[in-house]
Amino acid sequence: MNRILSIVSTSLAWALGILWLFPLLYAIWASIHPSEFVTRFELFAPLTLDNFREAWNQAPFLRYMINTVAITMLILGGQLILCTLAAYALARMEFKGRALVFALVLMQLMVVPEILIVENYQTLAGLKLIDTYWGVGLPYFASAFGIFLLRQTFKTVPEDLENAARVEGCSLLGTIWHIYVPLAKPTYLAFSLVSISYHWNNFLWPLVVTNTEKSRPLTVGMSIFGAPESGVDWAVISAGTLISVGPLLIVFILFQRQFVQSFMQAGIK
Amino acid sequence: MMSDFLSVSHLSRSYGEFHAVNDISFSAKQGEFIALLGPSGCGKSTTLKMIAGLELPTAGKIEISGSDVVNTPPGKRNLSMVFQSYALFPHMSVKENILFGLKARKVPKQERNKRLNEAVEMVDLGPHINKKPGQLSGGQCQRVALARTIVSNAPLCLMDEPLSNLDTKLRAEMRSEIRSLQKKLGLTVVYVTHDQIEAMSMADSIILLNEGRIEQASTPEAFYEQPETPFVAKFIGHPPMNLIEFDDLLVGVRPEHISLIEQGGLVASVVESDYQGSETILTTSYKDSTIRLSLAGKRVLTPGAAVNIQWAPENEHHFSSSSGQRIERTHSVMNS
Repeated sequence: MNRILSIVSTSLAWALGILWLFPLLYAIWASIHPSEFVTRFELFAPLTLDNFREAWNQAPFLRYMINTVAITMLILGGQLILCTLAAYALARMEFKGRALVFALVLMQLMVVPEILIVENYQTLAGLKLIDTYWGVGLPYFASAFGIFLLRQTFKTVPEDLENAARVEGCSLLGTIWHIYVPLAKPTYLAFSLVSISYHWNNFLWPLVVTNTEKSRPLTVGMSIFGAPESGVDWAVISAGTLISVGPLLIVFILFQRQFVQSFMQAGIK
Repeated sequence: MMSDFLSVSHLSRSYGEFHAVNDISFSAKQGEFIALLGPSGCGKSTTLKMIAGLELPTAGKIEISGSDVVNTPPGKRNLSMVFQSYALFPHMSVKENILFGLKARKVPKQERNKRLNEAVEMVDLGPHINKKPGQLSGGQCQRVALARTIVSNAPLCLMDEPLSNLDTKLRAEMRSEIRSLQKKLGLTVVYVTHDQIEAMSMADSIILLNEGRIEQASTPEAFYEQPETPFVAKFIGHPPMNLIEFDDLLVGVRPEHISLIEQGGLVASVVESDYQGSETILTTSYKDSTIRLSLAGKRVLTPGAAVNIQWAPENEHHFSSSSGQRIERTHSVMNS
């Protein structure tokens, strides 16, 4: 009985995995063959790298890539600092209205970011940050998800550890840095992963807030690149797509084991 | 006469209506070992945390070597602390754990290593300094915590039930180890415990707390020989002191001071006898009171049998049943 169950669940997992893999496999197929083979699957179709060359020449992918990396890192950095401090305050400091503040943070989790696009645009225009990295990143700095996740983790750190550190002469920030942060490492890793993949792939907000190559990330660049008015050449688009998802894909495959472990520990699914 | 090194006066801490610590005053001389003893929830840990600065008092004063420290942060009070949970940082090695405070205080590296070597030798941790706390036994963890105290060079050490997570045999070993360490380093120690044996065997003086107040503060001998209240009488000694009601008098007699006699004395009836190896605890009932006797060796008596019991008048403690205070013994209930 158990064996049948395990066979069924394994084959289901494989089926799902292949389903997810399919678009990627198609993109690889389309990108390494000439355009006429995009919808004709012949095993011995001629191979070519022209599509990659063309895509690379048609759009400033390197610039987009740099923008994406910079924006993703900026957001992650801002999130880690702000969320750590907020999570510590909500987990361990006693102040009036703490429960209310935490409830508000949780409420933010339920707000769909798209609702706030106009409001955020106005704010950032007021700050003169349109078409900058900061403009793309700022609305995401105070991540409710990050605050919540870290608060829960910090709550599991025994209070005696903090007391011991304080008796030993450690400052408040020193205690957070030397005690809380190292003990929450799996949570940080898991959160960083979610954040990076979300912001690497984020589209709508960067589309609204960026105007030029100066700050435009890969996703927005790709959409302009693949827009119908510039003619739909699936082979070139697939090549462009692979160029943009490639780096992240490689990182994920390399660190797969660590990622899965930290997700298990942090309890994110 | 030496002046007080640590002095706590009129210390209180309340949480809303609840008075966890209620107007406590005591003091300790340099090199003195003080035990804060009491049942759970009596306020002893709260008192210790206030001395450490981890908890703010609602009222009162704490002085360490002459200066008021109530507004001083814990790290600047020049004291060290040992926790019940050991509070070792799980992500650091034993060595890093011991040196944590010295690094935070920016002690030069050479000095750090010198102190580390001394401390490691003193508590016998040599082969373990590169291990993580998770790889150590409870006793070894406790030694790391002690080493942390030693390297800090702080004259005052606060200990919060440091032995309660150890097994009985190790506990006895660590008791004498802590005591000899304290004497060697000349530490002033405030030691919180709920275990009367620890308090009696280690402390120079004991402060017994009950519901946030001091019930009695004196030497271990006085606790045994001169309990001030029935609460103290019942708290110290194993089995606890018998308290027998005679009219308006509460008479206390320790089980080890009562003997069985052929005739005369009081006539009680046996409830049960509990053989424990070196002694037998005999439970009897006399009128409305239960009287326990501690008899040497194995003495099995049938429940329901009548026995004659007796004690010497000087082993009798009298308490007023109205005020609960100790009163001078004017007569012995044995003779009346």
